[in-house]
Amino acid sequence: MQLSVVVPLYNEEESVGPLVEAVRAALPASLEWELLLVDDGSRDGTVASIGAFTAADPRVRLVPLARNYGQTQAMQAGFDAAEGDVVVSMDGDLQNDPQDIPRLLATLEQGYDLVAGYRQRRQDDLVTRKIPSWIANRAIRAVTGVDIRDNGCSLKAYRRWTLDRMDLYSDMHRFLPALAAATAGARITEIPVRHHSRRYGHSKYGLSRVLKILADLLTITMIMWFRERPLTLFGTAAIIAFAIGAGFLTASAVAIWQIHAGMATAFVLPASGLLCILLGCYLLMLGLVAQVFLHHTRQDRASPPPIAVERFA
Amino acid sequence: MPEVSVIVPVVERPDPLTTVYQEAAAPLAEAGISAEFVFVSYPWFRPLTDALAALRAAGAPIRVLEVGHALGETAVLKAAAAEAAGQILATVPAYPQADPSGLPALIAQVRAGSDLAVGRRWPRRDSLINRFQNRVLHLLVGALGGGRLHDVACGLRAMRRDLLGQLPLYGDFVRFLPLLAMRDGYRVEEVAVPVHPRSMRGRLYSPGVYLRRLFDVLGLIFLFKFTDKPLRFFGLIGSALSSIGGALLLLVLIQRLAGQPLADRPLLLLGVLLMTLGAQAIALGLIGEIIVHLSAAGRRGYRLRGSQPSARPRAPAA
Repeated sequence: MQLSVVVPLYNEEESVGPLVEAVRAALPASLEWELLLVDDGSRDGTVASIGAFTAADPRVRLVPLARNYGQTQAMQAGFDAAEGDVVVSMDGDLQNDPQDIPRLLATLEQGYDLVAGYRQRRQDDLVTRKIPSWIANRAIRAVTGVDIRDNGCSLKAYRRWTLDRMDLYSDMHRFLPALAAATAGARITEIPVRHHSRRYGHSKYGLSRVLKILADLLTITMIMWFRERPLTLFGTAAIIAFAIGAGFLTASAVAIWQIHAGMATAFVLPASGLLCILLGCYLLMLGLVAQVFLHHTRQDRASPPPIAVERFA
Repeated sequence: MPEVSVIVPVVERPDPLTTVYQEAAAPLAEAGISAEFVFVSYPWFRPLTDALAALRAAGAPIRVLEVGHALGETAVLKAAAAEAAGQILATVPAYPQADPSGLPALIAQVRAGSDLAVGRRWPRRDSLINRFQNRVLHLLVGALGGGRLHDVACGLRAMRRDLLGQLPLYGDFVRFLPLLAMRDGYRVEEVAVPVHPRSMRGRLYSPGVYLRRLFDVLGLIFLFKFTDKPLRFFGLIGSALSSIGGALLLLVLIQRLAGQPLADRPLLLLGVLLMTLGAQAIALGLIGEIIVHLSAAGRRGYRLRGSQPSARPRAPAA
């Protein structure tokens, strides 16, 4: 199998038909492909709509989830079921255009492990979608150092070996390029893709997701930089706490001996200093516990080494 | 099929790579050792790896691997080891450190049955600054290797092919590879190699680098002493802190009963804080024990000589 197209669907009964037709029309006949439609516990007629196609066309397959798990798990289910050497993910709401898939594949051939699409002339509401998305992408780019301008676009192409090194959980689908860089050492690039306005149904996203993304940034920072060296993160925080504490204690020593011994206000300074220093000790211990955890999970499960590709093959 | 794969991790401040290749290839050819060279690098070092294309075209046994993201030397080395063809792996630093003329001696040591042979720059003719840094490092970690090793961070090594995959390597622990191998009972030998003529000058790093190294060393010592028994460490610290805290509180109480006012006494606060910190330390130790206990399931803490680390010998009956 050369190509698997993975589409998570949640309550998209009207979209299924046009989607399957669009994918069929977009992919060249010479290509060996499959279309995996992941039903994320829809409560409308999505499964029935998919059933109409799977019977007639063996290339179209249904991956039924037991309940509604959210987009990340739906994508992971599709990736796990996919048999292609290349896997393309896209949204089920017809906003992505399957006609871009051949271009994604061609870019992948130029020596990349992940090609992300970015939406040109995005057809969405400015205030509720575009501006929050712009802020989120800026923040993600700054924190991860992965140069992708549109993390929210689902249309992406992956080599099998990239996905083999990624395990998705929580709301990771927004950070897939960063995760691919951190865990697989993937070579990543992006190309412009078309974007259409929604034809059926309604968006399942709201403005609140921006706050969630900002909280997730902390998680992704951990994954990107400190997954294998938690003691560096906790230790650095501890050193900062020690420094502040030492500052307070110095100030209190000066206050006690130089100004007024026993002055009531002098109590505030040593108290603050002690708190800071003991916080530093606590952080250091947390880092050591994290190190214990890292060591034992690493012994349990031999994770595959990052992707290394021949340059002059 | 080459007998030896020489891996050159090109991750920081590399030398011209053609020089690195020539300096390492010449002694190997002289000793009649068949070797392939695996340079492993990042896409942003392409201007450097480009220079190798001409050598490769001229028939030199050079491969260049690329990892797409700066994952550090440990991860990069593991990736290269997975692709290497040789039965023996050697590593050569991409910057002047230990002189690669010592490679044949290291390889001979592995052929003779060692699991890992690591270079020791000896006699040290480089600058006092380098030697001082090396001395401080070994004051901290030397005892972990029973005092047998004098240059654990030496980048010139030779090892059995499967060694890297069997050690718990993460973060920047590849620097301490000989210590970690000794910890798991592998045969580690140290072989004196010359100092590279271009590394005589002293090297100082940014404070951030030293800070990271400090945490590496702290993590390594903790790994050796307490990873399998975190409660012993945290329990000891916790009870000591709590006792000191308790004693201080007792002292303050006695003084209060003797008539001294309490309100502006930092000592009271110190006592309370020490007691809470002690309780937290013990709690963390308990969490550590849970981690150790859960991860012990289905795994064995020993390794038979000449074999891989053990899983549970028999799976439980269904």
